[in-house]
Amino acid sequence: MTTLLTSTDTSSSASPGVGRGLALSVLRLHRSALWIWLLLVAALAAAMLWAYGPGFEAADTDFRERCRKSVEACHFPGGPAFIRYDTVVSYSTLAVTYLPFLVAAWAGAALIARELETGTAQLAWTQSVSPTRWLAAKLAVPALLITAGSAVLVPLHRLMWNRGAELLGADWYDENTFHANGTVTLAYALCGLALGALAGLVVGRALPALGFAFAALLPVFYLGNEYRVSLWPTVTATDTKIPGLPSEALDLERGVITTEGTRIGNNLACTDSDGPADLKRCMTDAGISDFWTTYHPKSHFWPLQLAETGVVLAVAALAVTAAFVLLRRRTATEGVAV
Amino acid sequence: MSAFAVKGTAETPGVPPGGPVKGLPWAVLRLHRAALVVWGALMLAAVGTLVWEVEITADSVRDRIAACGRTGGLCRIQNLTDYSSTIGWASTLVYYSFFAVAAFTAGALIGRELENGTAQLAWTQSVSPTRWLAATLAVPAVLLVAGGTVFVFVFRWAWAANRDLMGDDWTFNDVFAARGPALVAYGLCGLGVGALAGVVLRRSLPALGIACGVMYLINHNLEKYREDLWPAVTPAPGKGVEMSEDVWQIGDGTGRFHPQSHYWPMHLVETGIVLGVAVLATGGAFWVLRRRTG
Repeated sequence: MTTLLTSTDTSSSASPGVGRGLALSVLRLHRSALWIWLLLVAALAAAMLWAYGPGFEAADTDFRERCRKSVEACHFPGGPAFIRYDTVVSYSTLAVTYLPFLVAAWAGAALIARELETGTAQLAWTQSVSPTRWLAAKLAVPALLITAGSAVLVPLHRLMWNRGAELLGADWYDENTFHANGTVTLAYALCGLALGALAGLVVGRALPALGFAFAALLPVFYLGNEYRVSLWPTVTATDTKIPGLPSEALDLERGVITTEGTRIGNNLACTDSDGPADLKRCMTDAGISDFWTTYHPKSHFWPLQLAETGVVLAVAALAVTAAFVLLRRRTATEGVAV
Repeated sequence: MSAFAVKGTAETPGVPPGGPVKGLPWAVLRLHRAALVVWGALMLAAVGTLVWEVEITADSVRDRIAACGRTGGLCRIQNLTDYSSTIGWASTLVYYSFFAVAAFTAGALIGRELENGTAQLAWTQSVSPTRWLAATLAVPAVLLVAGGTVFVFVFRWAWAANRDLMGDDWTFNDVFAARGPALVAYGLCGLGVGALAGVVLRRSLPALGIACGVMYLINHNLEKYREDLWPAVTPAPGKGVEMSEDVWQIGDGTGRFHPQSHYWPMHLVETGIVLGVAVLATGGAFWVLRRRTG
């Protein structure tokens, strides 16, 4: 990301006219992708605005109505208005979360590899554009558009989600919700762009590059979901009775401390005790002195977001650097023909 | 890949088409050998994983659960989840591989060939457009049917082997599809839809996107309305709702349900629908190609 920005900066400061022309030519070449992106952002934004406003209101009114009539309906919201609202919310979340894969596939296939495959990239390099500046423009223009799109989608998603979380019974730490509610979406999308560009340069053929870019983003995404909770220090509460968690905390691990002072994780002993007296008896019988529980309070949302954003952007920066090094090396040794 | 591979296929005297597969089918296999290798590796990995889990892992999971001893609870659940989710991954990946089939057919098999003109070049040789399309689709179709059939039988065996260690049931999306011919039907449907998209759009990337989108619509709607594919049983008024573990409860509040004996009727109806779409799409691809090439 940084590499990319500095290189565009230097190129445009050297000759602003050519830099602008190059950016415009990137936009013109990929105009169908540009239109699809704009349409997608507009459609998602419209869906989320609908869910934020009329969708939520209809579902909420209907829910209150049903709740007044039957107690069961207060715990299990249903009905057509609710289902419609729930569907739109979950599809918007899904779409925002997995946008990075779309970016990776497109960047792998259409942005770089197809140009190399058909030879239009090599042709461009014989004109006034050096390979490095060509790649810089190819990365900077989509990166700007992706950032702008995310800057619309993520705040809208937060708006929609914050209003409906209680009705939907949604948690801030759900994998998809976590993605769509914060900066990690932008980080993964930029990472998808970088990995796509790298795959395109390495493979040099559109369809295989598409597959490689997609496959390269998968482990990054998966590892993020898997190790997210370790990216920020957790909170551990210890108590002589079973500690209650602050509301909306992400419960990670529970265990006991024995009278000898040993900590045992993943242990639910005595949790089914009935009342304080029963709990006391159970603890004495099992030789337990304390209970502990490890969790992330809701206030860890932003630290977790920013830590993961940083890690993913670092992966993106590595991929961009690798792409530039690879391109330089190839065009230096073989002339312009790759 | 295509341009290079075409140079090295049918016309190269150095590599005579030998063995049981000759002529046009051989050319298709050779042109798309990378895809063949990837697909073969996926099928081997999936089948291998299932056999490994059932034959090797299951026993050690039982040992570990026994070792959990008194603490029970979480330790047991963790071991069960590990076993169950690995098998679930195998069926999920193979089931949804029809997206890859659609993407490959639309992008690489048909779209790229028409875009580059290698298909048109082939038609100026001894191959007519219809025969070209027939061979291009028949070879992957045979492989999909063969590979899918093997997987379905292996999965049925693996899924039934250690029911006590598995957390899923017959109503899960992937389990429902992977225990019968619907799995193969989805693969063929991906092939047909991909071919139609490729022939109509004649450009690899748009065709790929459209084919995947159409497959998503087909699959998503069938999964959503699966419970309506066969009439559900209404419980007798006096008896109340039967809460057996292996019934598919329909969530509309009427208490209607599908007993497990409805599995085959529901499954076969879905297979029929998916195969119908496959046939229509393939027919459409031939029709469009004929009209275009006169």
